[in-house]
Amino acid sequence: MFRHNALRCTVLVLLAAAALFQALTAGYFGLEILTEILILAILVLALDIAAGFGGMVSLCHGALMGVGAYAYAILSAKAGLAPPVAMAAAIVLTGSAAWIIGAICSRSHGIYFIMATLAFGQMAYSYVFEAPVFGGDDGLGGISRLDLSFIGVDLNDSRSFALFCLATLGAVYGASVLILRSGLGRSLAGVMHNEQRMRALGLTVWRVKADVFGLSGLIAGLAGALAAQHIMYISPGLLSWTVSGEALVVVILGGLGTLVGPLVGAAAFVLLKHELSALTPHWHLVVGVILIAVVMSRANGIFGWIEARWDGRAERRAVKAARKQKTKEVLSDA
Amino acid sequence: MAHDLGFWTLQALNALQLSMLLFLLSIGLTVIFGLMHFVNLAHGSLYALGAYFAASLAAIGGYWMGFFLAPVAVAGVGVLLYSRLIKRMRKSGPMAQVLVTFGLIFVLLDLTRIFWSDLALAIDVPALLSGRVELLGIEYPAYRLFIIVLGLAIFAALAFVLGRTQIGAMIRAGVDNDAMASCLGINVERLFFIVFCVGCALAGLAGVVAAPLLSVTPDMGLQILIPTLIVIVIGGLGSLKGAIAGSLIYGFVQTFGAVLAPQLASVLIYALLAAVLVIKPVGLFPAKG
Repeated sequence: MFRHNALRCTVLVLLAAAALFQALTAGYFGLEILTEILILAILVLALDIAAGFGGMVSLCHGALMGVGAYAYAILSAKAGLAPPVAMAAAIVLTGSAAWIIGAICSRSHGIYFIMATLAFGQMAYSYVFEAPVFGGDDGLGGISRLDLSFIGVDLNDSRSFALFCLATLGAVYGASVLILRSGLGRSLAGVMHNEQRMRALGLTVWRVKADVFGLSGLIAGLAGALAAQHIMYISPGLLSWTVSGEALVVVILGGLGTLVGPLVGAAAFVLLKHELSALTPHWHLVVGVILIAVVMSRANGIFGWIEARWDGRAERRAVKAARKQKTKEVLSDA
Repeated sequence: MAHDLGFWTLQALNALQLSMLLFLLSIGLTVIFGLMHFVNLAHGSLYALGAYFAASLAAIGGYWMGFFLAPVAVAGVGVLLYSRLIKRMRKSGPMAQVLVTFGLIFVLLDLTRIFWSDLALAIDVPALLSGRVELLGIEYPAYRLFIIVLGLAIFAALAFVLGRTQIGAMIRAGVDNDAMASCLGINVERLFFIVFCVGCALAGLAGVVAAPLLSVTPDMGLQILIPTLIVIVIGGLGSLKGAIAGSLIYGFVQTFGAVLAPQLASVLIYALLAAVLVIKPVGLFPAKG
């Protein structure tokens, strides 16, 4: 089960403070990057719930995000629904799609699960790419943002939009922690550790997996609806499998199953991408080498590595204290 | 839709040609997986490398030099990858392997961009195969026919090696139960290495033969990867039968889907894959049980 320790809380507070500081002080370009990080962070939280806590390594979360984005765009721009209604509908639609995918794939494990989710993602990609309703290769433009003028916030201003995304991310993080601590989250932990045993205990394993995948899909859909509003334009590239692959890379670079780690990973990934692409057109090469190095080092990502060292230090301190205690006892016995 | 027989023959040959290309790629990937439980997402990048080596070699010594040397060069890259990365990643879980090879895709993609630039290269069809051949009442490009024949020849050779020779028996034993095979005195580690190199060489060969048909671009490896993965997942991992069956299914569904139902063609194959995974989660002809 997911727990907050001192390190996780510290990092969370630092991240939140940095994001808030950036949102209040940065110029236009800085705000764009911040918003990109925040939206990616929502997506990787969704992926971490499925992959890190449920062992469902999905290569379709990019596509799920794309489904959310397209659903929002179509419902708000073409069907003429009010943006809040369109957003809610888009999120529910993505969640339902994810639930169905989760239910179908629940029997597959390991590499087969990865391949099956990849297939569903590609199916959505090619459908969006081919169907004329979705604008094909050209994508869709003219997407409006939510209207929050009744509380005096204009989301068309990039600072307000960044703050809105930050607030959403905070809410999503809270919801994720609640999901993982709920009965469903505990069942999921059991399924990840020993599926056979959970089945023997009378748990309907496929339902647990499908429910969690569906919830994860809801969050991915939310990220998609936000992404569509952020850029105000969407193209099928959003659903491409490399987006899902990159999301997985972010989760791994950050630290799988730590929830805080992927947030660190999202910030690191977007910043690295922008810094490197300013220096060299071959930033993929550097990201690839870093990815290989991190995975080969067998550490659980950046955050996992820090956490392991932190725990190691705490353990050593405990051992030292115990030894001191013992010497004292020996001395006092003598 | 009123098409004559010749039209359907032409489509069938096109489907067969696509299938054979995919077979060359998927057989390496599937046997590597079956034997080593190793997921190599960078297999498509090796195919792209094969095409690039062929393009460079063809500029020096003509098509046939590229045809024979490029697969060897790709196998050389495979040796490098095996000794540096893959040997150490053997014991890791599938996710670590997927990620390392995903990183490798990035690296190889940008390396080809650095060495050969972003521009598409083209190779000419060799003079020997540039004409058209009269076949079953239609005219068909000799080069495409060559790909079909090459694919079938390689299938026959592999079927013979895997089914009838001692090394084939050793590979099958390794796929079936590698611990037991090594207890019986088979050097499974060396077997892995050989199979990996042959798989890489076949991926390179696929790149070489595909190069004159498609233009050689850095992202050709990414484009072929998904069809290859679909083939091996439909066919079942680790088996020759699965690879050929998966390739044929993919080739024919894709080609005839594009003719009969153009709107659905691209979704059709993924729907088929999903159906296979639901009914038989391990594919049609898995190597084990």
